[in-house]
Amino acid sequence: MADTTVSKSSKYVLPDRRNALMAVLSDRRYLPAILLIPVLVFFLVWNTIPLLWLLGLSFHNYSLTSGQDPRFVGFQNFIRIFQDWQVWYDLSRTLLFVFVGVSLQTILGILLGLLFWGSAKLPGRRLALTLLFAPMILTPVATGNFFRLIYDPTFGVLNAMIRALGFDSIDFLGNASTAFWAVLAVDVWMWTPFLVLMTLAALGSVPKAELEAAEVDRLPWLQRLRLIVFYHGKFILMLGILLRTIDSFKTMDLVLQMTRGGPGSSTKLVAVTLYRQAFDSFNLGWSSALAVFLLLISIAFTATFIFVLNLRRQRGQS
Amino acid sequence: MPDKHSKFGRNPGAGESKLILPRRTLLKGASATALAGTAAVAMPRYVYSQQREDHPLAGQTIDMAILGIAGWLPSSLAVQMSPLFSEYAQERFGYTAEFSFADAPFSGLFQRAATSLATRSQEYNIIISDSQWLGALASPGWIIQLNDVISQNPNLDIEWYGPVVPNTYMIYPDGTDQIWGLPQEGDTIALFVRKDLIQNEDERRAFRERYNAELPQTFEDFEDLTMTEFEKVAEFFTRPDDEIWGTAMQYSREYDFCSCYLYPFMFSQGGDIWNPETGQVEGILNSDINAMAMEQMRHWLRYQPPGAVNYGIAEQIDVFTQGKVATCFQWAAVGLAMITDEMRDQIMVVAPPKHGVGDAADRIYTMGGQPWVVNAFNDEAHMRVSIDFLNWWYLPEVQLEFARRGGNPCGRDTLTSAGFDDLQPWFRAFKFMLEGTRSRDFWHHPKYAEMLSLQQEAFTSYMTGQTADPMQALNFAACGQQQILFDYGTASEGPSRACRGISL
Amino acid sequence: MSDGWRQHLYHALLWLVALFFFSPVAWIILSSFKTADDILAVPPKLFFEPTLENYVALFERNAFLQQLTNSIVLSVCAVLIAVTVSFLAAFCFSRFKPRGTDFLMFLLLSIRMLPATAVILPVFLMYVAFGWKNEPIGIVLFYAMFSIPFSVWILKGFIDGVSPRFDETALVNGASYWHVIFRVILPQVRPGLIAAFIFNLIFVWNEAVFNFIIGGIDTHNIPVALWTGAYADGGVDWAFIATMTSVYLIPPVIFIYFFQKYLLVGMTFGTVRGEV
Repeated sequence: MADTTVSKSSKYVLPDRRNALMAVLSDRRYLPAILLIPVLVFFLVWNTIPLLWLLGLSFHNYSLTSGQDPRFVGFQNFIRIFQDWQVWYDLSRTLLFVFVGVSLQTILGILLGLLFWGSAKLPGRRLALTLLFAPMILTPVATGNFFRLIYDPTFGVLNAMIRALGFDSIDFLGNASTAFWAVLAVDVWMWTPFLVLMTLAALGSVPKAELEAAEVDRLPWLQRLRLIVFYHGKFILMLGILLRTIDSFKTMDLVLQMTRGGPGSSTKLVAVTLYRQAFDSFNLGWSSALAVFLLLISIAFTATFIFVLNLRRQRGQS
Repeated sequence: MPDKHSKFGRNPGAGESKLILPRRTLLKGASATALAGTAAVAMPRYVYSQQREDHPLAGQTIDMAILGIAGWLPSSLAVQMSPLFSEYAQERFGYTAEFSFADAPFSGLFQRAATSLATRSQEYNIIISDSQWLGALASPGWIIQLNDVISQNPNLDIEWYGPVVPNTYMIYPDGTDQIWGLPQEGDTIALFVRKDLIQNEDERRAFRERYNAELPQTFEDFEDLTMTEFEKVAEFFTRPDDEIWGTAMQYSREYDFCSCYLYPFMFSQGGDIWNPETGQVEGILNSDINAMAMEQMRHWLRYQPPGAVNYGIAEQIDVFTQGKVATCFQWAAVGLAMITDEMRDQIMVVAPPKHGVGDAADRIYTMGGQPWVVNAFNDEAHMRVSIDFLNWWYLPEVQLEFARRGGNPCGRDTLTSAGFDDLQPWFRAFKFMLEGTRSRDFWHHPKYAEMLSLQQEAFTSYMTGQTADPMQALNFAACGQQQILFDYGTASEGPSRACRGISL
Repeated sequence: MSDGWRQHLYHALLWLVALFFFSPVAWIILSSFKTADDILAVPPKLFFEPTLENYVALFERNAFLQQLTNSIVLSVCAVLIAVTVSFLAAFCFSRFKPRGTDFLMFLLLSIRMLPATAVILPVFLMYVAFGWKNEPIGIVLFYAMFSIPFSVWILKGFIDGVSPRFDETALVNGASYWHVIFRVILPQVRPGLIAAFIFNLIFVWNEAVFNFIIGGIDTHNIPVALWTGAYADGGVDWAFIATMTSVYLIPPVIFIYFFQKYLLVGMTFGTVRGEV
C-alpha cells in the first residue's frame, strides 16, 4: 500500500517539476525577465565588471612590467591627462579625423546611394554592389599594410601613376603634412560603401505610394527629396552616421598598420595613444584614466545625438 | 669559401615539420635541398656522446613552446634547428621534446610575452626576448635568474667575444653580476655595399675626377672612413633620374628603429642618453652634441630614396635587394635577406664609417640582437628541458651550424675558430663591430618601453619636419623620460621647471 | 533610342563607380599572383606572368589551416550566440516594453562606444584573473558581447514591424509564448536575423587586436596572422599579405553576394519588408 503511494507520487514528481519549469518559463509574469537574462548576464560580465575594474585602476599607478604593486594615487592620473599637451593634441586630431572623415563618407555615400537608387535594371547589379561593398569587408590589417605599398614613393602604384602624369613622387606617409590626409583617404574609401548601403536602405524604406503621388503632383525633385525621401529615410541614415561616428572615434588598426601614429605624431589618433600606452608601455593606470575620459566623451556624444534624433522623430510624429 | 647550400642542407623537410617557416627561406631551402643532395650527405653528422645519462624525464614526451620574433631570420633559425635538439635529447637523454612556435613582430613580441607571462602562464617556455627588455621581464619575476643555472652547467659558462656581449644580452641591472639572459643572436650595424657599383672602373674614374679622391674599395678602406668622406660616396651615387640613391638608414617610428640609427651619431661624437647611476636624463639627452647629431642624421635623408623617413628593417631590405641604393646601413642579422643569391658575389659587408673628424673620429654604433630568456613559471619538467636546450644550443658544433645557416653566435671560441670569417659575408664586419667599444646597448630599465615610445615620437617628429628645432624634440623626450624615471624611483630628481608646458 | 543610350551610359557609370571602389582590392588580388620581385617592380606591372606559387606556399604553411578554422569557428559561434541572445531580448523589448527599455537600449549601444583598447584593458585583466585568457570560449563570448548591441537594435525594429495580432491569434489558439517566439515571429524577421548575422560577422571576421591580446596560439585567427606574419626574414612579405588577404576575402564576398537582399532590407531596421 505504502509502496504504491510512494511509487505513484514519485511517478508524478518528475512531470510535475517539468511542468513547473515550463509553467515558470511560460508565465507571462516571468517571461520578460527570462528573455532578458542572457543579455543582462553579458552586459554584467563583459561591460559592468570591466568598467568598474577600469574605474578602479584609473585611480592607481600601475605598470604591468615594473614589478611594483598598484599604488593608489587619487586623481593624479586624471590631472596629468588634463595637463598633458599631447593628449589634447591627439584629441583634436581625432576630432578632425572623425569630422572630416564622416562628413565625406556621408556626402559621398548619399550621392552614390542616390545614384544607385534606380539601378534595379543594372546588368549584374548584385555583382556590382558586391564589388562596391568590398572595401568594408576587407580585413583592416591587410588594408593598412597594403596601402603602405600603394602609397610608397618608390614602389607604389599610386606614385607610378603620378609620375606617369609628369609630376614628382609624393611621399604620402612620410610627410607630416600629407600622412594624416592619406590615412583619412583610406578610411573614406573603406567606409563610404557602408553609407551607400545605409542610404540604399533608407531609400528603400520610402513608401512607393508617396513617391508616386509626388510624381502625379509634379513636385520638383529637390522638394521630393526633402519632403518625402529625407523625411522617411532620415532615421536610418542618422543611425548609419551615428555608427560611423562611434567607430571612427575608435579608429586604430588602420593607423597602426599604416603609420603607427607617425610621422612624428601627425596621425596619432587618441585610440592609438591609448593602445600604445596600454600595450606597448603597459602603463595601465594612466591608460585606464584616459579610457574613462574617452568613454565619457563618447557617451556624452551619443546621448546628445540620440536625444536630438528622438526629439526630431517625436516632433515629426506629433 | 662558404658552401652555399650547407645552410639549408639539414633543413628539415618543410612539409612534415611543425614549423612556420618564412616563405622566402622555405623556397630557398627547398630548392637548395633539391640541388644539393650531395651537400646534405656531406654535412657533418653530429657526433653526440653515445653514453646515455640517467635523465629524470627519460621516456617522457615534453611539449615545448618557443616564442620568437616573426619574420626574423635568427629566430626562425632557432625554429628550424630545434628538431636537431629533439634528436639530441632523444639520443642523449631518452625523452622526446616536441616544439611548437609562436611569433610576433618586434613591436608586438613584448606584448605577446608580457600578456602571457602576466597570467603566470607557461604558454611559452623559452622566449627570444629583445635585449632591452631584460629589466621589464626580470622585475616582475617573469623570467628566471640564470646565475645558479650557469654555475651548475659549466657548458653555459662561456667566454664571450667581448664585454659588450654580457652587457647587452645577459646582465640586469647594468653593472651588477645578475644574469637573466644568454645571447641567442648577436647583432651589430654593418654597412652593406654594392661592389658592382663601387668597384666599377668607370665609376671610380668619375669619382676621382669629381672629388679628387678614391672610392673606398676594401674592408680596410672602410675601416678608416669617416662619415664626411662617406658622404661623398653617398652623394656620388644619388641619381634620382636613374632611380638609384646613395644609402639607406632607418627613420621609422616603429619600435626602436629610428633611435638605433640616431644613437651612432650621438654616441660616436661624445653624446649620451642618461646617467644610469642617478637616473638623470635632463641635461644629458638634450645636449648640444645630440642636437647636432639629429641635424646630421636628418641631413643624410637627401642621399636616400623618397620615403626613407618611414624606412625600417623591411623597407631597407626591399630597396637594397631591388637595387635602388648603392649602400645600406643594416643589421648584420638580416644579412641573408640582404644578400640575395643572384647578388651574392656583388655585395661586400664592411664596418660602418666613423663619426667626427681627425683623431677625434670615433665609431660607437648601437647593439642589436636578442637573448634567450626562460619563463619562470615553467614546471619542473619544462624547466629541465629548457636548460637542456640551452646547454645544447651552446655546444660548439651547434653554434657553428647556427653560423652556417646565417645566425650570429657570440662565443669567443666559435668566432675565432678557423675559417669562421668566411662562413658568411658579414661575419668579418660583425666581429669587428663587437670588439672594444665599437658597439653599445642602451637601457635595460623596466620602463624601457615607455621611455622608448616617447623618444621615438620626439625623434621622428624632428626627422619628418613636424618639429623644426632638434633641441625642442630632445627637451620633450628628456623631460618625459625624467618624469617616468622619477615616478618609478630610479631618478632622484623630477623634471625641472623648464619642462613645464613643453610640447613637440 | 536616346533613352536607351542614356540608360547604357547610366549603367556604365554605375559600373565605373563600383570598379573604382574595387580597384585597390583588385590590385591586392592581382599581386597575389605575382612573384615577390614583380610586386616591387618599378613601374608596377599590370601585365605579368601569373604564378600560383604564393597560393601553394600559403597552403603549405602549417598554421594556416588552423588559423582559418579558428576564424570560421570563432566568428560563426560568436555571431550565432549574439543573434540568439539578441533575438530574445529584442522580443522582450518589443512586446513587453519593460520599464527602462529605452535606457537599456542606450546602455547596450554604449558597449559599442567603448574604444577597443578601453574594453580590452580590463577584459584582459579580468581574463587573467579568471583564467580565461587563451580559451576559445572566452574570445567567442567576448565577440558575442560586441555583436549584441547592433543585433538588438536591428531585431527590435523588425519585431516592432510584425503586428502583435499574430501573437494574439497564436496565444488564443493555445500556443505558448515560446511557440510564438520561435514559430510565429522568427520566420517573419528572417531578413533582420540574416542582416544582423552578416553585419556582425564582418566585424568578428576581421578582428585582430582583441584576439592578439586576449588570445593565444590556439585561438589566433587570420587577421592576427596577417599582422604577425607580414615579415619574412626581416623583409615585408607582400606576396604573403596579398595571397592571404585574397583567400580570406572569398567567404565574406560570397555572403554579401548571395545575401545582399537581406543585408539591404536588414539595414532598414524593419521598416521595409520585401525588396529594397
